[in-house]
Amino acid sequence: MSTPLLEMSGVRKRYGGVQALDGAELTAVRGEVHALLGPNGSGKSTLDKTLAGTVVPDAGTIRIDGAEARIGGPRDAHALGVAAVYQQLSIVGDLTVTQNVVLGLEPARRFGFLDQRAARDRAGAALERFTAAFAGRLPLDRPASALGPGERQIVEVAKALARRPRILVLDEATASLHKEQVDVLFDVVRELRADGVLVLFTSHRLDEVFALCDRATVLRNGRTAGTVELAATDEDELVRLMVGDAPHQAPRAARAGAAGAGSAAEGPVSSPAATLEVRGLTTDRLRDVSFTVRSGEVLGLGGLQGQGQSELLLALFGGAHVGAGEAVLDGRPLPLSSPVKAARAGVALVPGDRGRQGMFAVRPIQENLSLASMHRRATARLALRGAAERGAATAMVERLRIKIGSLADPVSTLSGGNQQKVVIGKWLLDRPRVVLLDDPTKGVDVAAKEEIYAIVRGLADDGAVVILNSSDNRELTELSDRVLVVFEGTVVEELDAEAISERRLISSALRLGPGETL
Amino acid sequence: MSTPVVDTPRRGLTAWRPGPVALAGTVAVALVIAGEIVSPGFAGYGQLVNLMRVAAFLGVIAIGQTIVIIAGGGGVDLSVGKVATFSAIIGSRVMAGDDANIVPAVALALLVAAAIGLVNGLGVTLLRIPPFVMTLGMIGVVQGLILAYTGGQAEGRAAPALTSLVNGRVILDLPGLLFLWLLLGLLAVWLLRRTTFGWSLFAVGANRTAAELTGVRVNRTLILAYVLSATFAGLAGILLLGYTESVFLDLADQYMLPSVAAVVIGGTLLAGGIGGYAGTAVGAIVLTVLQGLLTTLDIGGAWRTVVNGVVLLVLLSLYGRQRRLRS
Amino acid sequence: MTGAAAGLVDRVRGVQLSGLATVAMLVVAVAVNSALQPNFWDSYALTSNFATFVPLVAIAVGQTIVVLSGGLDLSLGAQVTLASVVAVQVVDGSLDRFPLAVAAALGVGLACGALNGLVVALLRLQPIVATFATSFVFSGLALVVLPTPGGSVPFEITTAYRDSVLGVPVALLLIVALALVWLVLRRHRVLRHVYAVGGDADAAYASLVPVARTRVWAYVLGGLFAALSALAILANTGSGDPFVGNELTLASVAAVVIGGTALAGGRGGAGGSVLGAIVLALVTNIIFFADVPTDYRQLVNGAVIILALALAGIPALQKRRPSA
Repeated sequence: MSTPLLEMSGVRKRYGGVQALDGAELTAVRGEVHALLGPNGSGKSTLDKTLAGTVVPDAGTIRIDGAEARIGGPRDAHALGVAAVYQQLSIVGDLTVTQNVVLGLEPARRFGFLDQRAARDRAGAALERFTAAFAGRLPLDRPASALGPGERQIVEVAKALARRPRILVLDEATASLHKEQVDVLFDVVRELRADGVLVLFTSHRLDEVFALCDRATVLRNGRTAGTVELAATDEDELVRLMVGDAPHQAPRAARAGAAGAGSAAEGPVSSPAATLEVRGLTTDRLRDVSFTVRSGEVLGLGGLQGQGQSELLLALFGGAHVGAGEAVLDGRPLPLSSPVKAARAGVALVPGDRGRQGMFAVRPIQENLSLASMHRRATARLALRGAAERGAATAMVERLRIKIGSLADPVSTLSGGNQQKVVIGKWLLDRPRVVLLDDPTKGVDVAAKEEIYAIVRGLADDGAVVILNSSDNRELTELSDRVLVVFEGTVVEELDAEAISERRLISSALRLGPGETL
Repeated sequence: MSTPVVDTPRRGLTAWRPGPVALAGTVAVALVIAGEIVSPGFAGYGQLVNLMRVAAFLGVIAIGQTIVIIAGGGGVDLSVGKVATFSAIIGSRVMAGDDANIVPAVALALLVAAAIGLVNGLGVTLLRIPPFVMTLGMIGVVQGLILAYTGGQAEGRAAPALTSLVNGRVILDLPGLLFLWLLLGLLAVWLLRRTTFGWSLFAVGANRTAAELTGVRVNRTLILAYVLSATFAGLAGILLLGYTESVFLDLADQYMLPSVAAVVIGGTLLAGGIGGYAGTAVGAIVLTVLQGLLTTLDIGGAWRTVVNGVVLLVLLSLYGRQRRLRS
Repeated sequence: MTGAAAGLVDRVRGVQLSGLATVAMLVVAVAVNSALQPNFWDSYALTSNFATFVPLVAIAVGQTIVVLSGGLDLSLGAQVTLASVVAVQVVDGSLDRFPLAVAAALGVGLACGALNGLVVALLRLQPIVATFATSFVFSGLALVVLPTPGGSVPFEITTAYRDSVLGVPVALLLIVALALVWLVLRRHRVLRHVYAVGGDADAAYASLVPVARTRVWAYVLGGLFAALSALAILANTGSGDPFVGNELTLASVAAVVIGGTALAGGRGGAGGSVLGAIVLALVTNIIFFADVPTDYRQLVNGAVIILALALAGIPALQKRRPSA
């Protein structure tokens, strides 16, 4: 092989407490469709964004045609011939399709006045190949916000194509496409390959990867686990690369059974009456979700990331608009209309995005811990007593073994794991009966992870209803008594204690095509 | 919208958090020294007491401003000056120079002020009008109320008891006003640091989404913040009335910008969630000394306005930057 | 991933009035006005009515551009004041110097807009607070330039402004001209980028739009329209006043809201704001002719502005957005 078109090496990127990329490598040649694979949170998107210029890496080199490339922003990437289709689309909903396709590179006449005809022609040319995907009529003058998700995705692809790239990044570009739309896209990609373009293809659908790609680079925990020729490999091999050779972890349920603590099916001993029953829950993102959890049980939510797991937890906490359905706790309907009511009814949510939803970064640890329960200790629900608040916070710090300097320090000074313990501790002080955990160990180091696992188990053992969403399949395996696999807002599979394993979770998540619901 | 707002710049700020108050204090002292140099006698005891007295009115108005700004989300109350004026006008008319009327006068003035704050709070929360715009619009309404109430001519007079409470010398030849300011300041500090309202307020300001997801009643907290803001402004109006004894139609209007500036100088972040009243109080003193200095230097009202704007702009660029688009 | 939770807070953003609501308000305002104001449709009354509309229309167009970019300019009124007092000092009653005065006003608008733009785009200050601060700089400078009301505009200008051409008031032609300027601008790349940045700054950035430069342009255009507003005020009143723009800032925001532009940015246009400005001006007329006692006029006026701002928060009047 001559000089590869693209070489990325030693790429590192840290977001707050999360090491998204930790020395990732990638080498690809022109005229190749190169798949970028890896489990949830392995750094695929970050690597894509690094190349496209929307993320500036902390370290690492990118070479294009053998020459070192400095990509400080999307304009640099464009100058180097890189165009990207992002997972979070760069479509402006209020602009028309034409305006979106030419955005940033609008054809203009003298003095910067727009050449609308040229713009339409260019957008039309870029979209022409996809006419079939729009039921035969290109919506060039419709606002992008009026399109369906698949149509918008295609506009995003056309926008990238209109930039005539040498390297085209497709990040989950098929996620919201129908079968026919995918076929058209694949034809276009194959043509680009014939023209010598390098296409970097990220997808969670392995069948698509095998159908389209030549080689695949697998990422794991922000590092490159290997690059394989797809013609000479199979799905099992790819899954093995993604999972790694970690020792097999016995599921919580199996261990509990072995210890003779009573099987999950019989229910725990402490408070036998407590159950949470969810019936037909439907929101913008959820369709008819029903299940039952008993007190003392840890119910896992698995599947690909972003299929509605977080929304389910949020809906149970009164944070989403519920269109239909109900939740019943111990025979009483659970208020789903506001978080305040949910909290008063004994529900707690440890949200998925700690920084944005869980903690008050600039506020002291003391306030972060007190906030959910302070009204219980206050005189007339107003006047706080310093000693009582300090006492409660100190007790929680000791119970959860949170490593802090002083209660007065801002919570942002703590490590990710200790921050998360503060968020959990805030709720434990409120003595909740239902604990909803959304990816509680994201961005948390290994030692703290184990401690948080112990806390979660302790919660269940004390008789709480625990629902755990996790992007980490090992975590689900370790903690869950049962797992619901969620896909496109609905529960598609239930794995009981014996069926839970990392490999089973990944393949359950990956091998589901669209429409293949149970 | 898609990129999460990372708190890293704030983390940097927390490292020098005790800074702003000490910094503002240093600036105040430096300004006094500068004043003494350009105009000997500027730092005399009587002169300083006088400056403190002027600062007290701003300081009391800025209590409410601090509360609203801590609540974050662009929270601010531009109507405080007008509300203080209106409160003084009501107070003066109802008191009519008679001590027996003090209680109903003050009660009515504060009640009206609180009602104005309630409307501000409802507009900001339920109707989602940006606070700057809502409270700026409220200035016009209150001005209208003043005209309708007075018919263009303020009447009445402060009750003697109020005047002697505000102006009477208590200890060390200090006027009662300063002790009232101290008392209200302590109340503000207690409210912010030792009540469920205060902690909820900081939480709402630091991270509104997280506050909602922690079961904090966000709207109620915000509305209460605007009610308190208007109420403290009303109190300041009453104190001003006691000081001036009779009112005029734009008595406290000029406090709008300084009340925001005092809060910012005191290290309370305009983004919300960080700050406190001690800093604001020092900020009020800094601004008052600065005005005194500019007056001593014979700088006219027009240039003083320019200087105020520039000071606020400089402070904002030190404290109030937003995130970059690139991560 | 966090869409639903972000929705908790983001529900606040993006409320927008429908075009139908704007037109309905205009119709009602015209109807009530013509019922109350004697000779509303006479050419003299029309001419003098339109003459008072132009300043608000011009500043509303400028505010629209800033709002579309995702910002807000609380200093526009102060810019109007500053531009008008500078222009009146330059013209000093002489028709010969009028072109110079126009250039001076535009220069002031450009400079003020550029300052705002730099502060917002490069220093990354919150637009509302930053322009609040600069408004004091501008209005202070205006007092320095013209401490008390005074100065005079050549009578040829004031006469021409209140004249009519073939029965059409000059002021109406000026409003049409402002609308045309807007239509021309809308075909320019800068305005396209203004919409993109206001609609979704992150997406615009990823799409190679020069976000910071676009924001600066938005404030500069806002300043230029403020300058036009200043010139219209001078032509209408014939003299300078260092407080003349105070009330215009908020009215411009209200006109934008009535005109159906979302305060969150990216959606709407100056066409609606022109109508919104006329609605507001008509309401002031109505208050005058409805025999509201003098002492209550300001209260009613202030309440109308607040109600106008509140309108966008009322769901039934909102434009339904195609589901995203």
